[in-house]
Amino acid sequence: MTVSSQAGERTRPRIGSHVFLVVLTLAFLAPVAWAILSAFKPANDIIRHPLEFDPTTFTLDNFVGMFADVPIGHGFLNTAIVLVLKGSITLFFAPLAAYAFAKYEFRFKNLIFGTVLLTLMLPTIVLIIPLLLEMKELGWVNTYQALILPGAIDAFAIFWMRQVIAAVPDELLDAGRVDGCGEFGLYWRIVVPIIRPGLAGLAVLTVMNIYNDFVWPVVVASSEQMATLQVVLSTLASTISGNKIGADYATVTGELLAASSVALVPLLIIFIVLQKHFINGILAGSVKG
Amino acid sequence: MTTTSQLRRARPRGRSAGLPLQRRLAPYVFVAPFVILFLAFGIYPMLFTLRLSFTNWHGAGAAQWVGWDNYLYLLGSPAFWNSLANSAVLWLLIIPFQLVLALTAAILLDNAKLRMRGFYRTAFIVPFVTPLVAIAQIWVVLFDQNYGAINAVLGLVGLPDIGWLTTSEWAKPTLALLFIWKTTGFIIIILLSGLQAIDSSVYEAASLDGAGRLRKVTSITIPLIRRTMMFAVVLQTLAVFQMFAEPYVVTQGGPYSSTTTAGLFLYNHITRGDLGTGAANSFLLVILVMALSLGFVRLLRAKD
Repeated sequence: MTVSSQAGERTRPRIGSHVFLVVLTLAFLAPVAWAILSAFKPANDIIRHPLEFDPTTFTLDNFVGMFADVPIGHGFLNTAIVLVLKGSITLFFAPLAAYAFAKYEFRFKNLIFGTVLLTLMLPTIVLIIPLLLEMKELGWVNTYQALILPGAIDAFAIFWMRQVIAAVPDELLDAGRVDGCGEFGLYWRIVVPIIRPGLAGLAVLTVMNIYNDFVWPVVVASSEQMATLQVVLSTLASTISGNKIGADYATVTGELLAASSVALVPLLIIFIVLQKHFINGILAGSVKG
Repeated sequence: MTTTSQLRRARPRGRSAGLPLQRRLAPYVFVAPFVILFLAFGIYPMLFTLRLSFTNWHGAGAAQWVGWDNYLYLLGSPAFWNSLANSAVLWLLIIPFQLVLALTAAILLDNAKLRMRGFYRTAFIVPFVTPLVAIAQIWVVLFDQNYGAINAVLGLVGLPDIGWLTTSEWAKPTLALLFIWKTTGFIIIILLSGLQAIDSSVYEAASLDGAGRLRKVTSITIPLIRRTMMFAVVLQTLAVFQMFAEPYVVTQGGPYSSTTTAGLFLYNHITRGDLGTGAANSFLLVILVMALSLGFVRLLRAKD
């Protein structure tokens, strides 16, 4: 799963390789860099001179206006609440269930695990309509429960953690039993410390998925009060022009770029700090897609 | 009769009879939270959709059983086929181009002598970790016909402005570019993991046989990571046919429904309250996506 080390080719890369990689890097970074830098420009300059950047004219006007017009703080708060609660449920219960699948024999084990595998193949969008109806029946539309509980113990997380836990030697568990450790104690004091790298990968993947989740939140909790950050972002243009009577295209664009920049910075920082875990998480996550 | 049932009952007991009660009960306790949530928010709604897809329910009142009507309605509806066609065109615009791009980058990165490998890898992943909705908003500004940076760049080299978001011929490529920008780094990482599993002695042997650089790629690298490539294609196919947030934010499905993808079309049933048809549409989409995935897997097997 590690991406560094071992490389196939041993020839010195040619100049063409570097050109290709540099161009690709620029193409991948330019939109984000352009948006963040432009957000500091006077609104009129963003649309009149989209390619010019003059640091002497940089201003915080777009950010000031955006914080007044867009309930982005509220979006961050809702996302943070969902992130903490849903993330904790995923990180506590998914590896626990995976532990049972990896190290115990019990009735219906294969039936349940087979169903887990089957749901991995199903497109997530299929469940949207029935889940929404279920939320309506429960009176959960526009509530935190609706944002948190469905999908909180993700089938993929179980599938992945089961593989990780299967690698923990049974002898260690037996030794723990001899020492009088309870079944949960075995998990908590022996398994968890060993699988910490896997858990870290699961953690970053979970944070990224919850932070970026959009389809389910926009369907089940699109009210102003419950909107998560991504839902707030999805209606920026109409929110800004609705809150600022007579706002021109330049002002709307400036505030829109300010909001988008503010939204992508937290994840970029986490990514740069925890890069290795991210790449491992993404690789393992690719099993689900 | 009695003997077989006794035997069947005896087997599991024999396996765990000697174990302490705590050890026998523990796994049930550990999987219980998952099983409860899974039944409530996975299995139940799934069965509910299946039933719903045979009714004309609009979200309130009594549901009427309409048999296969929803399915037949969709299969006869040009809008439904249009949504599938849009997704299929997006697939064609995205997958071949992305695969070549990602494979080239992955092969170049799979070279220990390459300087700044770590930097490139980090840079390539940046798009994948940015929130899709934020970047979709940025796309709207970048590709604006009159004020966007993209047309400004085209202007520098003397090309005319393009109505990226306002014409039906350019809206799909604009979304395809967004999707390619967002997910290619992810594909690079997947392909790179496949490349790193190749034993470098294979390349050395080929060098001794006088194989050139391109020859090595076509006759060693690609055959050896075909599985990984096919895996990436299956993942991306699932993603393209579910594409939702991109058209939702960037084009709202327009102009003239040219970017109403299969995923967005499904969502539109919800906003219209036409839930029975939406449920039927969900299942048609599942069948299609499953068939495509199995098709790719079979393609892979046939060549083995």
